[in-house]
Amino acid sequence: MRRFLVVCSSFVLIAALWAGSVFAQGITWWEHSNPPHNNYSKELVADWNKKHPSMPVEYEFFAMTPYFKKLSAALSTKSAADMFTVIDTLLPSFTTKDVLAPIRPEWLGYKNLDDMKKAYLPGALDGYIHEGKLYAVPMIAATFSLYLNKKHFREAGLDPDKDYPRTWEDIGRVGQKLVKMQGTTMTREAFDFAMHSSAWTMWYLEGLTRQHGGGILDRAGKKCTANGEAGVKAMQVRSMYVHKYKISDPTVSVATNALPADDVPKGRVSMFITHAGSVAQFGPKMMEDIKVVPFPQVNPRKPVSVVYGFALAVNPQIPEAKQKLVHELIRHVVKNPKEWYEKTSYPYPSANFLELPGMDEARKTRHLDVFIGDIKTGTYVTRTPFYLEISDAMHRAMERVVLKNEDPKASLDQACKEIDAALAKP
Amino acid sequence: MSRKALMSWGGRLVTLLTIAGIGLTLLPYFWMLSSSLKTGSEVFELPIRWLPREPQWSNYPDALSRGAFGVYFFNSTLVALAVMAGNLLFCSLAGYGLAKFRFPYRELSFRAILSTLMLPLEIVLVPTFLVVRGLGLVNNYGGLIVPLAVDAFGIFLMRQYIKDLPDSLIEAARLDGCSEHGIFWRIILPNCTPALGALALLTFRDAVIAMIPTAIIFLFFQRAFVRGIALSGLKE
Amino acid sequence: MFRQKAGWRGLSLQTRLCWAGFLFVLPALLHLIAFKFYPMVEAFRLSFYTYDLMSPPVFHGLENYRAVWNNPLFHQSFWVSVKYMFGVSIPEWFLALALALLLNRRMPGRPLIRLAYFFPIAMSQIVVALVWKFMYNPLGVVNTVLGSVGVGRINWLATEETALPALILIGIWRGIPLFGVIYLAGLQSIPKEYHEAATIDGAGPWQSFIHVTIPLLMPTILFVMVMSLLSAMKVFLNPLVMTEGGPNGTTRVLPYFIYETAFAYHRMGEAAAASMVLFAFAFALTLIQLRLLRRGGVE
Repeated sequence: MRRFLVVCSSFVLIAALWAGSVFAQGITWWEHSNPPHNNYSKELVADWNKKHPSMPVEYEFFAMTPYFKKLSAALSTKSAADMFTVIDTLLPSFTTKDVLAPIRPEWLGYKNLDDMKKAYLPGALDGYIHEGKLYAVPMIAATFSLYLNKKHFREAGLDPDKDYPRTWEDIGRVGQKLVKMQGTTMTREAFDFAMHSSAWTMWYLEGLTRQHGGGILDRAGKKCTANGEAGVKAMQVRSMYVHKYKISDPTVSVATNALPADDVPKGRVSMFITHAGSVAQFGPKMMEDIKVVPFPQVNPRKPVSVVYGFALAVNPQIPEAKQKLVHELIRHVVKNPKEWYEKTSYPYPSANFLELPGMDEARKTRHLDVFIGDIKTGTYVTRTPFYLEISDAMHRAMERVVLKNEDPKASLDQACKEIDAALAKP
Repeated sequence: MSRKALMSWGGRLVTLLTIAGIGLTLLPYFWMLSSSLKTGSEVFELPIRWLPREPQWSNYPDALSRGAFGVYFFNSTLVALAVMAGNLLFCSLAGYGLAKFRFPYRELSFRAILSTLMLPLEIVLVPTFLVVRGLGLVNNYGGLIVPLAVDAFGIFLMRQYIKDLPDSLIEAARLDGCSEHGIFWRIILPNCTPALGALALLTFRDAVIAMIPTAIIFLFFQRAFVRGIALSGLKE
Repeated sequence: MFRQKAGWRGLSLQTRLCWAGFLFVLPALLHLIAFKFYPMVEAFRLSFYTYDLMSPPVFHGLENYRAVWNNPLFHQSFWVSVKYMFGVSIPEWFLALALALLLNRRMPGRPLIRLAYFFPIAMSQIVVALVWKFMYNPLGVVNTVLGSVGVGRINWLATEETALPALILIGIWRGIPLFGVIYLAGLQSIPKEYHEAATIDGAGPWQSFIHVTIPLLMPTILFVMVMSLLSAMKVFLNPLVMTEGGPNGTTRVLPYFIYETAFAYHRMGEAAAASMVLFAFAFALTLIQLRLLRRGGVE
């Protein structure tokens, strides 16, 4: 049985290997998946590693929905990376549990938090402050805008510069000229909402509900109000392109995580709502055929939209000296808003962003004014530690209405029952 | 047609169907391979393309150069090998102990071991992680290997197989003065290579990249593999 | 290693054997205690606490069990799991046996044919999930094949009626070869003389199958029935990778419910209570199967 002994001794040998820690020195950084953004992060990491060979950064990214679950689990078991990218919607579930290290503005080169606030767009840090302390440094301020395929518009005899939709009803009207059928099968959607994740569902629905004058939760955050009049109207808009206008068909889309807007460059949809990051995802060639216009409204004279953001947070489990080093890394990552924008096409929420040298060109060619305009009319989504439970319940309600044509009111009543039950738990 | 001729025609038909069924079984593999040689836009082209227009062999070096593929390969192979070795060693030891010895609470231990097969992994994730951390195995190979180094299914497999080995073999060795662990190494193990092979294959497969070698191993050792799973002694 | 120890020789053979057996099992037992039993006891303890993973647990008695019982999503998940378990395992019982019978016949190229059928065993789970996700895509292989016989385009994983059957099909596709091998091993261990004797007594192939093969295969059948149900009960990766439990919760199997409750919603206690229910269910199901089959003549 010599062979068996060899096998077993190899086990012992390998077991001995674990004692020598494999991932020795360095800083770990986790992020959600977004191809252009991840590529730029890798460039930044390579640059850092050249300058700090003794403290190299190990960078990893994961598909968004599983990433935030993994992050929660890792934070709670104290096994998260040294630095990680968080989304503003999850901040309340982290800050109320004390699992993020407070950011030290003085380590980032500011006198104090007020000094730091002045360097950012008004309100840009608000999504990351809890009880007077800042818990993450924003790298992205994002919002949703409407992308349209100019070629499709012209083929349908429409002028993209004049005939673009301003309201949700406009989309339905214009869309009827853009939709393409082959017998009873839709081969090209005029318009589509992404359906791949509850986070996107929530951004759409929260924007729509606010435009109708309502909210998902009451002011105290203790009760679901999504089944009110505004919420029901929002859900009707969400589903009317499928059921009323018949210009959208959930079985056409093949876009999934991590490329929810992928139907646009493939020409399977003419109008689509997505964030500024898609400009970089589509690439300059595709963008020649694309026009970006503001987020559709119920009342274009009183525009309402939602903003969200990603930010860098620090693991409180690591020693102070390392935390300081991670602050250095944050400075390194956010040091160049213009380059940031050019590589990722996400606007950076610094106060002087639009006035940075060389931004004129981007304002003309990359629809920057549209994005900044939507950011200015936007506010962060509901702050609640129960955000994931709420968005999952809303996502299910949306699926029932869109896929099964269930009554919006009944479906939202059920969602509110689920949400209220979650809010009532200890 | 005579009954015999009918039977032989039926047999041929069944053979034909058997071969046709392979297509259904292997379709996903075929699709995976063909997609791996397509350009990004070809993958979802309509009407569907079963074969790439021009095989994009560069996809492979591209994928390999993306990320530290060498490191991934090394890591997953190392982990898979170690998990396999751990299972071979500990499961055969335990299987032998449970099959051929009498000691207090033996049946209870066996049942307890089997009951772990009913555990949904998700719920023990956090407590397991705490154990792993307590043993200082976080962020190193040990953390990936040790929790998987023993599996109840392996113990069960080995016990069933060893149970069917004749007791006389062991008793003869014992009379000759062979030590207990000597019996294990020199009598038991050489006699249960098929079961060890089956166990090795089943524990090794979850290393993603190990697929091709597994297939080759399977082709050559399928007789042993099937014999290994011969759970003829399944009755309690 | 035992012999060197002082006093070992002095023990009676019986005591020595007793210890030897125990020591053989000990390493595996210790491992299972650390990585299975302790976590299980810990999970049981947690099911009486409210615990968000980040702040210290607070004792809450049976509150979690009440919450689980009153949670319609748990009930939905329970039934999804039941449908998945039986949807996967019942076809597996028969198809795996059919496959084993086919592959047990003499035919040209048998080793290669067996390899082709058993290949899915060797494919890692995550690859299976990704490949099938591609194939179920609205523009993927499945729709193309069905489209050629006139079936309209279906978004398999995003339609309530089809998402669970789509996952069930993958489970069956992957399970048949595994259980097929086990059946095949069982078939091969049946001595040929039994069938020969039956043929001499004038039994046809069908009678020989019913009266010789099936009774002798009973232990294997029992094993396959129990194992296929248990492994279907634990399915998790496919819903996670392919549907995230959707649409409208129609593929949220219990393990996914537990994972989501614990790690997305940070309700560890409730997740623990749900997994105790799942464990009890699995235990009861296994016991019932064993009882029924014992009554049916299996020792």
